[in-house]
Amino acid sequence: MRFKASIQNINTFTKLTASLNSLGPLAWVKLSDDQVCFTIIPEQGTQVWAVLSIDTIFETYTVQSAANNVINLEVPLTSLNRALKSALNATSAQIRLTKKDNMPLLALTIATTSSSNSYAAFPTAAANNNEDGMDNLDASFGGGARETIVTQEIPVRVLGPDTVAGLHEPQCREPDVHIILPPLMQLKSISDRFTKLALAGAKSGTTASRSRLEVAANMHGCLKMSIKTDAMSISSVWTDLNNPELDPSQVAGGDIGIAEHPSTRMKQLGSADGRSEEGWASVRIDGRDWGKVMSVGRLGGRVIACFCHEHALILYVYLPSDNGEDESVLTYYVSSYSA
Amino acid sequence: MDDEDDAPILTAVSSSARQLYLLLRCINFAEKAHVQISEEGLKFSVDEASVMEGSAFLDKSLFTSYTFRAPPPQRIEPTDSDEEEPSELASTPTFQISLPSLLETLQIFGLTDPNNSKPPWARDNPTSTAFSNNVLGMNNLCRISYDSLGSPLAVVLTESTIRTTCNLTTYEPAFADEIPFDRQSLAFKTIMRGSWLFDAISELASTNPESLTLVARMAHGKPYFALSANGPLGSARVEFNNNPTPTTASTATQATRAPPNPRATTPSTNTNGDPPPPTNLLETFQLSTPSVPLRSTYKFALVQKAARAMSVATKVSIRRDVQGVLSLQFMIEVESGKVSFVDFRFVPLVEEEDEEGREGEETMMGVREEGEGRDRGSGSRSESGTEDEDMR
Repeated sequence: MRFKASIQNINTFTKLTASLNSLGPLAWVKLSDDQVCFTIIPEQGTQVWAVLSIDTIFETYTVQSAANNVINLEVPLTSLNRALKSALNATSAQIRLTKKDNMPLLALTIATTSSSNSYAAFPTAAANNNEDGMDNLDASFGGGARETIVTQEIPVRVLGPDTVAGLHEPQCREPDVHIILPPLMQLKSISDRFTKLALAGAKSGTTASRSRLEVAANMHGCLKMSIKTDAMSISSVWTDLNNPELDPSQVAGGDIGIAEHPSTRMKQLGSADGRSEEGWASVRIDGRDWGKVMSVGRLGGRVIACFCHEHALILYVYLPSDNGEDESVLTYYVSSYSA
Repeated sequence: MDDEDDAPILTAVSSSARQLYLLLRCINFAEKAHVQISEEGLKFSVDEASVMEGSAFLDKSLFTSYTFRAPPPQRIEPTDSDEEEPSELASTPTFQISLPSLLETLQIFGLTDPNNSKPPWARDNPTSTAFSNNVLGMNNLCRISYDSLGSPLAVVLTESTIRTTCNLTTYEPAFADEIPFDRQSLAFKTIMRGSWLFDAISELASTNPESLTLVARMAHGKPYFALSANGPLGSARVEFNNNPTPTTASTATQATRAPPNPRATTPSTNTNGDPPPPTNLLETFQLSTPSVPLRSTYKFALVQKAARAMSVATKVSIRRDVQGVLSLQFMIEVESGKVSFVDFRFVPLVEEEDEEGREGEETMMGVREEGEGRDRGSGSRSESGTEDEDMR
């Protein structure tokens, strides 16, 4: 069982682990020849199934195992994230699976070049002279860059194929509404304030922690987020969002499937100004959990939300990739509370 | 909204929720605020145990449009209420709302636009063109409406493509009487900069005092005004002298442990960066009977609740009527040229006899009515305040 890779995009990897870590402490990481999967299944709350193309994070990636070159690991995200944070200024970082005292661990080897110039008394003078090759001269006199190598070890657990065999991605019926969300950080700032409002209301009221955020969308580009407390009800409506067209080749039944798709029916209802009462598919979610989900906004991808009315909300977060072909996608399964 | 009869009582549109927020934040010390709607504007008032009240008046000039349609006088006269003039009640609708909720709502503005702080070329989605609403300043609309008696107070914030609607539950008003303040018979009045009062109060707050005593007299023909704070750790005093060289001294008396050190600098240095202060620290100084020093005591923690208003006010008018009620009126510049007023009133504490023998000779004014209060009061300070109101 071998796994070794150099991390190409430390920044993305750090943000990704931080976002995932907010939902749960342990991740099931599945390494295979063509993709890396991160799965978080917390006791309660939102599940994440992330499928990343290799080059989103890694390069020179090798994985070998007796089980079709697939390795399943249980990784503590806090440790991984902490290790990656220390690599943010690294010139290069490598990760590999190894063993120490018979304990499997991920070893993150971070090479940092600390320029001695930055600690010199007259850094600007040195910097000014760099253009005419003086830095080479400096280096030859031993005043140049020094490489520091730090290895961080993250204890992991190797999961057998039978352990993960029972884990399946949640199945859900066809969504009633699908919509491209506005920037998640924008959503987060508003939902955080809503939660704060609900908490302020709960302080004086008797029904504490019963406040749920209601999120709804229609097929006319509107998204609505609302919360109710004893003292107030507040809702924000976004308009002019995009409802992406369904691809007939992706929908079961092709064109007929689309014609019978729930979203086609929802298109008949509601209006584009978001004032109509009809045509909304809504879910009730926990405000704090939602805030954690929204933290993936720091990765800055395109997000499509699929609403199954009063059942579930599924978010597809597409990470921007360089070649634009095999996009990496993080799938969030948020289930709706009953009223 | 469809018929003339169904026209809302109030529709007010403001292009800047920020102004409203800045003013209302000054009185954010209670859960519920009373709102009074009138032809002239909106009055928000909060009170604390009937010994302190604060109010902010949102003049209709703060709004780009302000339509008030007085509701018809209520036919059914409330029988259980002791209102003598129901018609007056009906013409100026009054109700309570949750003030923290309103403030949180007003802050939603600006949150939604992550591009606000970035220059146009650094924005993620350059939606703004030369003709878009952003340029016209139309993207920040705040609409406050109150449809009919008993309906919620609706605040609608519109920002580019996001519309936030907040319906604040309205509650029956709980108090009808405000703390009586007799403007006609003032015992003392002075006007100074709000920041100077703020500096003085924050300086005194460092010793965590219980009471704040206001002393005003004519000393050697010059006005003398001092704020002295008393607490378990000792006492400290900030003096405002209208000398040609304005100085403020902080004297620590009977300090047991940490004495309030003479950090109290002159107010002129506290307002650094400002132009040289006017020759007179106190713009106006009036004592009804200048020969007699005036002295009255208030609960420090209550006065401190006005600190936010002090810090943003350009000027503060400090007044005390013959009953001992303290009025602090803050002039706050919300926009260049436009001023708004925030008012606070405080009921004095009943002074115990010979509380401070050294300054006993200064306790002249206020003895009369405070004596009455003591006759009935048990000495508890909060009770003394309510009784002061009962006396009216």
